[in-house]
Amino acid sequence: MIGRWRAKKEAEEQDSGSGRIVVDGIGKSTGGRARTRILITMAVFFAVYGVIAGRLTYLGFQDLEEGGPGPSRVTASRPDIVDRNGEVLATDINTASLYAEPRRIVDADEALEKLLTVLPDLNIEQTYNRLQSDAGFIWLRRQLSPRQQQAIMQLGIPGIGFRTEKRRFYPGGATASHIVGLVNVDNKGIAGMEKYIDDQGLADLQATGLAVAKDLEPVRLSIDLRVQHVVRDEIVRAMESYRALSAGAVVMDVRTGEVLAMASVPDFDPNNPYNAHDKDRLNRMSAGVYEMGSTIKSFTTAMALDSGKVTMESRFDATRPIVVGGRRIRDFHGKGRVLTVPEVFIYSSNIGSAKEADVVGIEGHREFLYRLGLLSRMDTELPEVARPTEPKVWKKVHSITAAFGHGFSTTPLQTAVGVSALVNGGYLMPPTFLIRNQDQAMASATKVVSDYTVDGMRYLYNLNAEKGSGKRGTVPGYRVGGKTGTAEKVVNGRYSNEKNFNAFVAVFPMDNPQYIVLTVIDEPKRENSTRSATAGVTAAPLASNIIRRSAAMLGVKPDFGHESSALLVSSQ
Amino acid sequence: MFRTTDLVLIAVMVSAAAFTYTTKHAAEAELSKLRKLEAAIRFEEETIDVLKADWSLLTQPSRLQRLAETYQSELELVPVEPYQIADIDDLPIRPVEIEDFINENLGGMADSGIDATTTGGVVQ
Repeated sequence: MIGRWRAKKEAEEQDSGSGRIVVDGIGKSTGGRARTRILITMAVFFAVYGVIAGRLTYLGFQDLEEGGPGPSRVTASRPDIVDRNGEVLATDINTASLYAEPRRIVDADEALEKLLTVLPDLNIEQTYNRLQSDAGFIWLRRQLSPRQQQAIMQLGIPGIGFRTEKRRFYPGGATASHIVGLVNVDNKGIAGMEKYIDDQGLADLQATGLAVAKDLEPVRLSIDLRVQHVVRDEIVRAMESYRALSAGAVVMDVRTGEVLAMASVPDFDPNNPYNAHDKDRLNRMSAGVYEMGSTIKSFTTAMALDSGKVTMESRFDATRPIVVGGRRIRDFHGKGRVLTVPEVFIYSSNIGSAKEADVVGIEGHREFLYRLGLLSRMDTELPEVARPTEPKVWKKVHSITAAFGHGFSTTPLQTAVGVSALVNGGYLMPPTFLIRNQDQAMASATKVVSDYTVDGMRYLYNLNAEKGSGKRGTVPGYRVGGKTGTAEKVVNGRYSNEKNFNAFVAVFPMDNPQYIVLTVIDEPKRENSTRSATAGVTAAPLASNIIRRSAAMLGVKPDFGHESSALLVSSQ
Repeated sequence: MFRTTDLVLIAVMVSAAAFTYTTKHAAEAELSKLRKLEAAIRFEEETIDVLKADWSLLTQPSRLQRLAETYQSELELVPVEPYQIADIDDLPIRPVEIEDFINENLGGMADSGIDATTTGGVVQ
């Protein structure tokens, strides 16, 4: 319209202004009007896009409202731990944990009401207040069962969700707690074999993110879960019936040095380890040191035989107590006569043992105990290993008391390792908690005593079980040999005759030693009295019970053919 | 206007586009199937883990012992004693019984006495 009107006007002007030359073309005259239109359109578009861009920039600088779960806590995968037969001792399980985002919850009343149908034990008031709040993220319940998770999912409540968390689970509970060990909340091993696995490079794998659950081979321990259960069951009973402070036992294969079972009570439940670090719950078998008492006489006798200066026929005068360093060494079951080497052993003569040690000399005695690894820190996979203690300077009195197991302390597990060297042919091998075969064991073994000594010790253990203090430790059919040890505990710097530490070391079957059982009981009391009991009536029956229940599982065949087989092969 | 070659090329182009689209669509469908399967496998693996843990929990020696003690009156299970364990080789050889074939009755005619039927051969 306007264009046409202007065109008309211009045409009129042209007509009126006669003689005026028309320079602008028709196209130019119409183009001038079109330009303004284009400019207007462009301005409109610029304005619209400008608003959009501005709004985007504005939104870009805005902080997003907090929502969703926080950054994921990396719960590292760990390999399963299984026993020698493949029974699971420790495994990872995935658990779902329930969280809520209160900001996104539409109706807190309804959400809570629905949740209560699945989780009736939720704290109603507290949960309601938390759901009503303006928080971005709250945990409602950690570690749900799969069934609960399914039920909650079916409720279809908006604003709640699940997060998968890995959790270490120990099906056996306390059964093998000291061996398997513990992990912390981040699934890092902090005790026992769990810590050993981490130290072997798993921690580095996890740090680089290469520890994928599927690629991790289960770690096979030398433990036999069935025997482990028997051992723990028996020591729990023994601790109760003798009202003892603690009890412990270890079962070892003397041919390979594998630990098949080891337990110490009181212990803890690794699934709920609130008391795992209490002082009285330590693993007494490897992390506790004790004066082992008369069980050490095994080593004294072996040392005397191994020195070559003493034979099985040698005699020692045990008629009079020895007085040394202001102490009188007496015999508990004094015979008051001259004793042969086997008699010294089966009557557990302190005087006889002291004289045996005297033959070898102080330095020789100390060297022998070191040779059998009783005085140095044990080398094994478990991180909880105590260092034995010995007198700073060895004098004659120390050698004499050490002959019957006083004056130096060592761990019960070490004692068992030493005794297995005395009966397995003289080979000392470091104990292991991992599967090991005989060849591997022999590769790491050192020959510490002669074959003559081994034969003598086998004979003595057998004889002691038949005629000596180890009678209650025997089991018909399994040819058990052993040595008791009752050590008086040191109370206020003096040996108390009220408080005892009892030990019994048993080896079976004696005709071809395969397994060693060492039991210890701390401060057992006699029945219906507060007086202390000796090893013959506490630790020995405990070992006997363990052997009776576990020998068949260990593959030892009962044999009633030669019940009286205490024959000294070397002196025949 | 359009030449025949143009028409042919257009047809080829359209069909190529259609083919690409269907292939892509099918691949996406397969991928989503794969993802579902992977999720299902993961779920199964987790379930296996849980069941394994469950199994070892149920077969714990301590639990079995507790059960055996609880149901002692019904099951009457007791620990095996050493004298109850033996190999096949330990068993004494079974005594050989010689059966008395000679004096055995064969159950034939001779046992049932005299035949009731008389024939010409029988002495009257």
